[in-house]
Amino acid sequence: MRRALTLVVSGLVAALLGVLALGGLSAAATATAEEAATEARNATEAAKRAGKQDPYAPEVYGNR
Amino acid sequence: MTGRPAEAGGPAVRRWRETLPLYLGAVVVTALILAPLAAPGYALRYDMVFVPRQPLSWDLVAPAQSLPRAVPMDALVSLVTQLVPGWVVQRVALAGAVLFAAVGAGRLVPTQRRAVRLVAAVAYAWTPYLAERLLIGQWGLLLAYAALPWLVRAALDLRAGRDGALARVVLLAAPAAITPTGGLIALATVLALATDRARLRLSAVAVGGVALLNAPWIVAALVTGAGGTSDPAGVAAFAARAENWAGPLVALAGTGGIWNVQATPASRSATLAPLATVVLVVLAVVGAGLLRRRLPAGAAVRLGVLAGGAYLLAALAVLPGGNAALSWAVAHVPGAGLLRDGQKFLAPYALVLVVCAALGAERLVARIDREVGGIVLAGLLLLPVAAMPDLAFGGAGRISPVRYPADWRAVAERLPDDPGEILALPLTTYRAYPWNPGRVVLDPAPRYLPGTVLTDDTLVVDDVAVAGENPRLREVRRVLAEGRPVSATGVRWVVVQHGTPSTVDPAVLAGLDLRYEGESLSLYRNPAASDSPPRAGASRWLVVLACGTAVLAVMAAAFSTLRRRATAW
Repeated sequence: MRRALTLVVSGLVAALLGVLALGGLSAAATATAEEAATEARNATEAAKRAGKQDPYAPEVYGNR
Repeated sequence: MTGRPAEAGGPAVRRWRETLPLYLGAVVVTALILAPLAAPGYALRYDMVFVPRQPLSWDLVAPAQSLPRAVPMDALVSLVTQLVPGWVVQRVALAGAVLFAAVGAGRLVPTQRRAVRLVAAVAYAWTPYLAERLLIGQWGLLLAYAALPWLVRAALDLRAGRDGALARVVLLAAPAAITPTGGLIALATVLALATDRARLRLSAVAVGGVALLNAPWIVAALVTGAGGTSDPAGVAAFAARAENWAGPLVALAGTGGIWNVQATPASRSATLAPLATVVLVVLAVVGAGLLRRRLPAGAAVRLGVLAGGAYLLAALAVLPGGNAALSWAVAHVPGAGLLRDGQKFLAPYALVLVVCAALGAERLVARIDREVGGIVLAGLLLLPVAAMPDLAFGGAGRISPVRYPADWRAVAERLPDDPGEILALPLTTYRAYPWNPGRVVLDPAPRYLPGTVLTDDTLVVDDVAVAGENPRLREVRRVLAEGRPVSATGVRWVVVQHGTPSTVDPAVLAGLDLRYEGESLSLYRNPAASDSPPRAGASRWLVVLACGTAVLAVMAAAFSTLRRRATAW
């Protein structure tokens, strides 16, 4: 009984990690350079809203 | 007769069966991370700048007016790109870093179980450290990260008195020592692991050999006109950062915590991200005992000291009193500026964490049923990927190759071989080009164009401007701030980069002769500049001498290693 329970629990956790890994990998695989650029634009707008420096302005090395 | 081939082939086949999963795993991980580099072009992001053919200019070998942050890395790239195109060098360097990191970590684990080695390999090649340093473009540091497990093994072999270990220590420290940070990590590793009172002479030669590999940047730092101290504002700006609710110390414990949010995978800010760190650290604690038992006496303690020291150094700026102490050191102690981005020193901690965690996994599965153990190991193998899937495919599209506009080549061809000073305008350190969308990159001009290219060296982080060290740039900035034209600075050439958010006031260019005008770049000649280019000072030859000595040390080590093998390959 204990063995079966351990098997089920560890199997479920491994399956969950597998789903997370595969799902994440597919999301990363389908992220194109254009999407990365869109993400950068969003970061610029978010910085503006927060009153911070634009992280993609050439004079900015990065934001903390 | 029939038995002989079986005897000869048997162990070799067994060895292949043992190591093949590790190498295959490493290849899969490398391909997953760097898949976008299958496309042609150059991946340009933050500090990662590769160009088709990097000129072998004095300023790349021994910077006269700035700190030698990329010595001797730039000189090495310049030499290699005389023979091989820069895009090939970039791919070999990045793929080699990830592949050798994975294989090295897997081979370092003292275990007989292939799956445990594979867990260590994937975990070491899929760390937040690797992701963040890749996304900030510090490929030289990644070479040090990849060399580290191999160097640790060689250093432990040296302490154990194994034949040929001394040469391997010097040889494996060489890729690490192409940057000052990597060189220091290698030196600390050898000091911590290889020194032994019983083998004092051998230990001294090993430490001396690795110190010799650090000589190029040390000599360059001594002869540069930039001075040795840095702006203490950089300590707070480049201190470890909290990536989520758990704070900077937990971020560092998970090998993350780089200062720059743009160089951090988005998954690191997830609420559950610290959970993966907790699992890894708990496994490492469980596995530490196994490491101590399986390594020679004292070796595990030394590894622990090395890892602990790396963690403390990384955390120093966020510990009570650490910021003040580091700020004082950076402002007063020459060379202490190296410590201000402390997270980069975390590599030894990452390695020990991963090796111990893999052994912790082995200990865990040894206590349970074989079937269940297989499932647990599979889960642990997937854990780093599940926790940070957005490292895959070039950080989910953040690393993607682009082509330089044709103007770059046209301008480089119009400049003579020894063109003297070239000023790059607008005066900013980093550029956001429309042809490299969504990315910020260090100005490629110093690496693309021949001669001494002056670019701004002020680093802006949030609202903090961390002053650079180049005294010539201070002079140029002063002239421009006074509203005088750029011709008054005495530079011979001016390259204006178009399409970036900053612009250049046409009045600044008054008195210059336009030599080339393109969509991306314009080239001007300053008739007011003197015709004779500045000659290299004798002190710069000392850097060349140091580079030559380091190369000789590596060649001697390589020769010694090859001589001990039955065949050279």
